[in-house]
Amino acid sequence: MIGDLGGALAHIFTPLPFFYVFLGTVLGIVVGAIPGLSGAMLIALTLPLTFYMEPVNAIVLLVAMYVGSITGGLITATLLRMPGTPSNVVTTFDGHPLAMSGRPGRALGLGIAASFVGGIVSWIVLLLLAKPLSIWATRFGPFEYFTLILMAMVLIASVSQGSMVKGLIAGFLGMLVSMPGVDPSAGQPRLTWDWYVLNGGLKLLPVLIGIFAVSQIIGDIVSIGKKIDRIDANLSGMLMSFRDWRRQAFNMLRSSVIGTWVGILPGIGASIGSIMAYTVAKNMSRAPEEYGKGSEEGIVASEAANNATVGGALIPLISMGIPGSVIDAILIGALMIHSIQPGPTLFLTNADVVWAMIAACLVANVIMLIVMMGSVKVVSQVMYVPRTFLLPVILVFCIIGAFALDNTMFDVWVMLGFGVLGFAMERAGFPLGPFVIGFVLAPLMEEKLRSGLMMTAGSIEPIFTRPLPLLFLSIAVILLIAPFIRAWRQSRIARSGNAPGLNSGEGDSTR
Amino acid sequence: MARSSFTVALAAAIVVSSTGVAFAEWPEKPIKVVVPFRAGGTSDQVTRAFQAAIEENDILGQPLTVVNVGGHFSIGARQVMEAEPDGYNFLTIHIALMGGEGGGIFDFGYRDYEPVAATGQFCVLPMVRKDSGIDSMEELLAKAASEPDTLIFGANLGAINHMGGIMMQNLVDGAKFRFVQIGGGTANFTALTGAQTDATVLSAAEVANFTRMPDGSENPEAQIKPLAYTGPDRVEHLSDVPTMTELGYDMNYCIESWWFAPKGTPQEAIDGMAAALEEASQTPRITEFYESKMFAPVFRKGDDLQNSLDATWAAIEPIAKQASQK
Repeated sequence: MIGDLGGALAHIFTPLPFFYVFLGTVLGIVVGAIPGLSGAMLIALTLPLTFYMEPVNAIVLLVAMYVGSITGGLITATLLRMPGTPSNVVTTFDGHPLAMSGRPGRALGLGIAASFVGGIVSWIVLLLLAKPLSIWATRFGPFEYFTLILMAMVLIASVSQGSMVKGLIAGFLGMLVSMPGVDPSAGQPRLTWDWYVLNGGLKLLPVLIGIFAVSQIIGDIVSIGKKIDRIDANLSGMLMSFRDWRRQAFNMLRSSVIGTWVGILPGIGASIGSIMAYTVAKNMSRAPEEYGKGSEEGIVASEAANNATVGGALIPLISMGIPGSVIDAILIGALMIHSIQPGPTLFLTNADVVWAMIAACLVANVIMLIVMMGSVKVVSQVMYVPRTFLLPVILVFCIIGAFALDNTMFDVWVMLGFGVLGFAMERAGFPLGPFVIGFVLAPLMEEKLRSGLMMTAGSIEPIFTRPLPLLFLSIAVILLIAPFIRAWRQSRIARSGNAPGLNSGEGDSTR
Repeated sequence: MARSSFTVALAAAIVVSSTGVAFAEWPEKPIKVVVPFRAGGTSDQVTRAFQAAIEENDILGQPLTVVNVGGHFSIGARQVMEAEPDGYNFLTIHIALMGGEGGGIFDFGYRDYEPVAATGQFCVLPMVRKDSGIDSMEELLAKAASEPDTLIFGANLGAINHMGGIMMQNLVDGAKFRFVQIGGGTANFTALTGAQTDATVLSAAEVANFTRMPDGSENPEAQIKPLAYTGPDRVEHLSDVPTMTELGYDMNYCIESWWFAPKGTPQEAIDGMAAALEEASQTPRITEFYESKMFAPVFRKGDDLQNSLDATWAAIEPIAKQASQK
C-alpha cells in the first residue's frame, strides 16, 4: 500500500500532473468562492475537455477541483454572507458575524485550518478503511436515512435566532417550496399547475443563491447610500496558536469524523455533513449562546465537516463504484468516458487511477492550505471593496451560474424571485437558515420515508425496532429538548441566586 | 394535445414558407444536440462519444455542441420539440420518452418529432442476491406468484427498471412484485447488496462491472447474481447467462439511444445527420465504446427506425400505464 501510494505521489510530483493538481485546486477555490458557480458545474464543464487527456491526469485534475471548490466557498460565506456553494451555508452563521466584528482574518484562518484538518482526516479514513466502510454503507436502508435526516432537521429548531415561531414558519416555507416537480417517489408531477418547466422542481442552486446571495445584494443596494461604518481590518489571529489548536482539537476531530461518515453514505452531500457537525458542536458546546454570533467553534465545525465529506464520498466510489455525492456521479462519468469502470474490481483493473485519485486528494488538500493561507490578506480586502463595484459583478456571476446549471432561463427567474423573497423575509424578521435547511432536507427525508413505507407496506415499525434508526431518533429527541432543559435549569439557577457560579469551570471557552 | 398540434401546424407553416429558398449546403454552422439529462449519465456518454467520433473523423465538417438540460428530462425534450426546425437542433433520448407519455407525465411523444436514428442498444438482466435461495427465473416468478406483493423490487418508479419489472411479472399469472423507489443502477446495486431489496434489473454493463472480474470470471466478493438476459442473443462477457427466450419467456426488453429532430426539420438535415451517425458508428471510438458498455451495435434510420419506434410504443404504452397506476 505504501509503495503504491508512494508511486502515485511520485507521479503527481512530475511537472504535468502537478500542474493539473495545482490548476484544479486553484480553479476550484475561485469557482467555489463565487456565489452561483459551484464545483459540480466546474467539473461538468471540464469533463468534455478531459476527453483528450490521459485518464490519470484527467481524474487528478477533477479530484483537485472537487477539493478546491468545497473550500473556496468559505471566503464569500465569511466575508459577504453569501455562501459560495451550498455546503458553506452553515459557515455564514458564524463566519460573517466574526468577520463583521473586525476579525475577518481570524474567521478565514479558522475556516481554512478546519478545512485542511477535515480533508486530511477523511483522507486517512479513505486510505485505511475504504472497503469495510463501504460494504457497511450498503446496509443503510431508507429508515436509517430517514431518522438520520430527521436528526439533522432538528437543527431548524436550534439554529433559529429570535422568534422560535418565525423560525419554524421559515422552515416550513422551505419545505413547501421543495415540493413542486416530478414526485421523487411516484414519478408523477405534482403542484406544477400543468406548467412543464416546473416538472424539474425548484432546484437547490437557484433557490439557495437567490435566498442568500441575491437577497444580500438587494439589501446592500437598498442601503448603498448609507455610510458603512469602517471596521478595522484586523488580520491577527489568522494563524492558529498552539492554544487554539488545543482548544479546537476535539471539535475539529469530531466534526471531521461526522463529515467523513456523512460523505460515505451515498446520496447525501456536504451540506448535511456541515449541518450535522454544527448541531452536534452547538449542543455539546459550553457556550452555545455564542453560536450564530461569531462562534469560532461553529466555523470550525462547519468547515471541517464539509471538507471531510470529500474524502468520505470517494470511499464508496473507489471501493464499490457508488457515487457518494453529485460531484462523484460526474467523476464516475469521467472515468467511464475513458473506458474505466468504477466498481468493486477497480483496484484490479486500474490500480494506477485509484492511487492517483487518493494521492491527488492529499496533494490538493496541501496545496489548498498553502494557497488559501497565502491569499487571506488579499482576499479579506474584498470586504472593503466599494459595494458599487462588487455587487454588479457578483450578480452577473449569480445569473451565469443559475443559467449554466441546466441551461434554462427558468432557473434564473427562480433565483431572482427567491432573492426578493429572501430580502422580504429578512426585513420581516424571518431567519433564512431554517428556510434553507427545510428546503434541502425535506425532499430527501420524504423520499427515504416513502421508500421505507413502500418496503414495509405502510408500517413504520422498523424505526423503533432497528438499532440505528432508534439511536438516531433518540439523539434527535435529545437534541430537540436539550436547549429547553438547559434554559430551564439556567433560569432556575438564576432565580435561586447562584448566577455567579454559572461560569465556573468555563474559563477556557471565554475569550 | 392542443399545444402539440399547434406546434405541428406552426412547423408545417415554416417548412412551406421556406421551401422556396434554396437550402444551402447542410451543415453550415455548428449543430446543437440536447441531452435532457445531466452530464455523466449513459445518454450523455453516448452523445459525447458520437460528438468526439464525428469531430475526430471530420464527418460533418461542423462541430456538434452538446448541451445538457437537467431537471426532469421532459424539460429538455420539450425544448427541442419547440425549437426552430432549421436542421441544427437535435435531441438524444431513450425509452423514457415513451414511458413518460404512456404514464401521463407529459402530453407529447415520439410522434411529435422527426425520428433521425437509433444508435446502439443495451438490454437488462433480472438480479437477485446469491443467498436468496432463488436460482432461476422460474423460481423468482413462482415466488412472486405464490407470495404476491412480498418480494421487494428496487426500481426508479416509472423508469426503465420499473417497466422491466412489470414486464417480468406479467409473464406469469398472479405474479406481483412490491415495487419500491430506490433509483438507478448503482442505487439498486447498493440496495440489493445490502439486502434492502430482493430483486431488480441492471444493465449488462452494470452486471459485468459489479459481479465479474476483468477476465470475465465470477467475482467471489459479489453478493448478487443475474438470472437471465432480456436481449435476443446471449451477451459477451456474460455468456453463461441464458436469454429469456431460451427459458421460454416471451420477453425482449432492450433500450436504444434515439436521435430526434423537431417536426418540420428539412429532410436534407435529417438524412445528413443519420448518415453522419451511421458513419461514426463504424469508427474505432464508437465500436470500442459499444464494447466497453456492452451495447449491441444496432443502427436504424428511415423506415426501419419508424417501424421499430411504432412497435416499441405498442409494447410499452400498456406497461407505462400499468407503471403509473402503481
